Amino acid sequence: MENNLVTTAYIVASALFILSLAGLSQPETAKRGNLLGILGMAIAFAATAAISQGYPIQIGSIGLGVLIGVLAASRVAMTDMPEMVALLNSFVGLAAVLVGFAEYLQPSAALSGGDVIVHRVEIFVGVFIGIVTFTGSIIAVAKLRGWVPSRAVLLPARHVLTLGMLGAIAALGVPFLTATGDTPLIALGAMTAIAGIFGIVIVMAIGGADMAVVISLLNSYSGLASAAAGFMLNNDLLIITGALVGSSGAILSYIMCKGMNRSFINVVLGGFGETASGSGKAAAIEGSATSTTTGEVVDLLANAQSVVIVPGYGMAVAQAQHAVAEITRLLRGQGKQVRFGIHPVAGRMPGHMNVLLAEANVPYDIVLEMDEINDDLTATDVVLVIGANDTVNPSAKNDPTSPIAGMPVMEVWEADTVVVLKRGMSSGYAGVENPLFFNDNTLMFFGDAKTNVNAILAQLSTTNVPAPALSAA
Amino acid sequence: MTIAAPQENTVAVVADAAPTALKVGIPKEIFAGEQRVAATPDTAKKLQKLGFEVLVETQAGAGASFTDSAYKAAGCTIVTDPASLWQAADVVLKVRSPQHHPTLDRHEADLLKPDTTLVSFIWPAQNPELLEQMAQQGSTVLAMDSVPRISRAQKLDALSSMANIGGYRAVIEAASHFGRCFTGQITAAGKMPPAKVMVIGVGVAGLAAIGAAKSLGAIVKAFDTRLVVKEQVQSLGAEFLELHFEEDGSGEGGYAKVMSPAFIAAEMALFAQQAKDVDIIITTALIPGKKAPLLITQEMVKSMKPGSVVVDLAAEQGGNCEVTEPGQVISHNGVTIIGFTDLPSRMAAQASQLYGNNLVHLLSDLGGAEKFGIDMEDQVIRATTVIHNGQVTWPPPKVEAPAPAPSTQSATPTAEAAVAAPKPWYTQLLWPVLIGPACVAIGLWAPASFMTHLTVFVLASFLGWKVIWDVSPSLHTPLMSVTNAISGIIIIGGMLQISSNIASPMTILGAIALFLGTVNIAGGFMVSQRMLNMFHK
Repeated sequence: MENNLVTTAYIVASALFILSLAGLSQPETAKRGNLLGILGMAIAFAATAAISQGYPIQIGSIGLGVLIGVLAASRVAMTDMPEMVALLNSFVGLAAVLVGFAEYLQPSAALSGGDVIVHRVEIFVGVFIGIVTFTGSIIAVAKLRGWVPSRAVLLPARHVLTLGMLGAIAALGVPFLTATGDTPLIALGAMTAIAGIFGIVIVMAIGGADMAVVISLLNSYSGLASAAAGFMLNNDLLIITGALVGSSGAILSYIMCKGMNRSFINVVLGGFGETASGSGKAAAIEGSATSTTTGEVVDLLANAQSVVIVPGYGMAVAQAQHAVAEITRLLRGQGKQVRFGIHPVAGRMPGHMNVLLAEANVPYDIVLEMDEINDDLTATDVVLVIGANDTVNPSAKNDPTSPIAGMPVMEVWEADTVVVLKRGMSSGYAGVENPLFFNDNTLMFFGDAKTNVNAILAQLSTTNVPAPALSAA
Repeated sequence: MTIAAPQENTVAVVADAAPTALKVGIPKEIFAGEQRVAATPDTAKKLQKLGFEVLVETQAGAGASFTDSAYKAAGCTIVTDPASLWQAADVVLKVRSPQHHPTLDRHEADLLKPDTTLVSFIWPAQNPELLEQMAQQGSTVLAMDSVPRISRAQKLDALSSMANIGGYRAVIEAASHFGRCFTGQITAAGKMPPAKVMVIGVGVAGLAAIGAAKSLGAIVKAFDTRLVVKEQVQSLGAEFLELHFEEDGSGEGGYAKVMSPAFIAAEMALFAQQAKDVDIIITTALIPGKKAPLLITQEMVKSMKPGSVVVDLAAEQGGNCEVTEPGQVISHNGVTIIGFTDLPSRMAAQASQLYGNNLVHLLSDLGGAEKFGIDMEDQVIRATTVIHNGQVTWPPPKVEAPAPAPSTQSATPTAEAAVAAPKPWYTQLLWPVLIGPACVAIGLWAPASFMTHLTVFVLASFLGWKVIWDVSPSLHTPLMSVTNAISGIIIIGGMLQISSNIASPMTILGAIALFLGTVNIAGGFMVSQRMLNMFHK
């Protein structure tokens, strides 16, 4: 009876989690969605607490966890969200490993015959996914923080090495499933160690801009780790939740890969840097880029009727989003149409740019997706490209030999004038030259994005003070 | 828009270069009726920013409404005598090719000093004697009509900038000779039908004409042998007339090539049919180095409604219309045929501004005043230079230059085709081959409890897949943090493993798992809420 009550609570919690994710479909309903998630979690927690024991330890662990979680969440800067997400992923991974070990040491239910084998397979798989999620996420955090080089770090013969590790992991499964005594525990420990290294090697080999895919993928893994724990613990709530999270991460990875026109395998197996420098077959560009000055950009903006801003990871790095938002407000106050165009892979995480702009108080209804704004770019007077490169590279569209051929890009060159804010003429992450910079209607504004955007802002606000009154009508 | 406030670096250049600056001379155009001038006060300023001193012949800008005082205000020196201007200038900028000067009674080519540079329209193919005459002066001549049509040289492409203005003006001329309004209206006094305009040849001029006619409210149709321009035509809101014929007319340098006789016959039939319907025909068809193709026959003109207008932008190259008289406006059976060859000059102020900008870009590419020099290694400069230090360097060695328009347009399908190439059959079989046996194996050996869990897992995955696709991309980051938080549900596992026995390994492992999961739940939900609070309209 009591058991049925718990199960009912779990069903309610599952439903609330699904409603929570459904609520995230629109910004208007998203907050409610988040609250439904919290409610679901509270119900699941209360029901589980009712049937568990050891309350002092539970309260201690939970109290500490809530404290640290709340502290971290309230302090993290929006530009650091990718690291935060990756770090949280790692926790789920580690928790899954611990749950797996504990479950091996003392199965929650009495098992016999075939069930024992199935149960052990579940533990083995669960611990494997958990540890890969854990070490992979830790490396992702280190890469995003710059503790280890963010470029793709490739070991010699790494394909052989990774295959070897996978082989060893599979081989260790045999003693774990069949042996008795301490051997299975040793096998499980050895597998955990190898799989941990496997996670490190895999993520090390992925370059900086592909991090978005990796983080989505690890997000998916953390869900699968939960689901695997559900299998071993005979708990449908864990399975449902894990499956939801797993498909969410899978979809995000898929969207990211599509945004780069690369297959999933291609991202995981090799960075862009490797292929581009190796083949070097992209059409060479000759010609001169036209550089510009603050005054000229301010003139352009003052005379423009419609402006589109295309931000990239460079804007996040330079922390220029507040100044950009300020310019947006100023120009909109003068009755100009100002919109943002966001490429699906801009930034280091799906939706990264949207969060940064929201933080800077840019209304979300002027922040558009690439597909929504690409057709309007022909009728746009000025496009400001801030810290983006590969996502605005015309050779993806025009040059079938380019390494990024076929990748969907923002067609900024269709606008009357394009101003590119950039540090220098270096090529982007994909290592591909960008012919956009040499276009006749492209002006290069070199220097630190934040400094330059602030300079534009300063001049814009002094030169155009009288105008705003008009737009009120 | 381009008048930038003087900036730090540019000011410095002017100051340094002042004592020994190269002089740029802008003579008054002497071709009869030519209103344009090679520099406006605005572009003269830009030339000074490049370090040049600018000399302007008095009244040089009069035809384009630029007064001497405006040039003076822009920092130019006004020279009253053309001879002394040619004498003083190191670089002479002109619009029309040199010819006999009526007041000096000398040929302009003879005024050219050795070791100086002339930049102008030259048309070397049509003017071999002029080329020879200028070469004897030992100077350097750059022909603005010889700028190669490649992307990099677009900012120098005076032919395009003039064609743009010509196309616009063609519509204005047509409108002024057309007895009706372009735009359709229904008024209390009756209905006004919109004018129907057909543009033949969609190059720079054709596109400008389409844009101008469209914005006056006309119904615009356009035809071109190059299928790549279809998209451009449609983007301007005009209809692209198509022959159902497998032949593309894209030639070298963005121009059209000569088409097959069968194609031309089909094309002519189309024009004949359209001529009866449309009110205005604007033809811009040119094939480089050849006489303009004849597209509108006398028959077709006769079939047009009285009051209709034909504007022939190819008049100078022989005309696309059989009855065109270059430089004239004639009436043929009640149809007005405009054969003006000086359309850009009829918008002298704008044309001078664009041409002046083209020249500024050229002089900037030549190194500005300080590093002024002709780099014959540079493909663009090489092609533009027709005489180098007294040596005729025209025609330039042939360089394969892809047409800019097709390269941007036609490459797209190639790239897409490469992406969309059907996968080999075995990759399509991969998943069935993997999943099939797995299903069989599970069905044979897995215990019943596992099957229920698997059912739940698979269904939940599909549900998740459906639900997540609805999530707005702008919320992908909050989505990740929410899923992060709910994947912390793994605490349930930890909670169930904790017992009252503090020392048992399960309790320790469970407690750590519980701690980690809680960090995730609290942190994930909290940071999501923080982010979602920031989203506002």
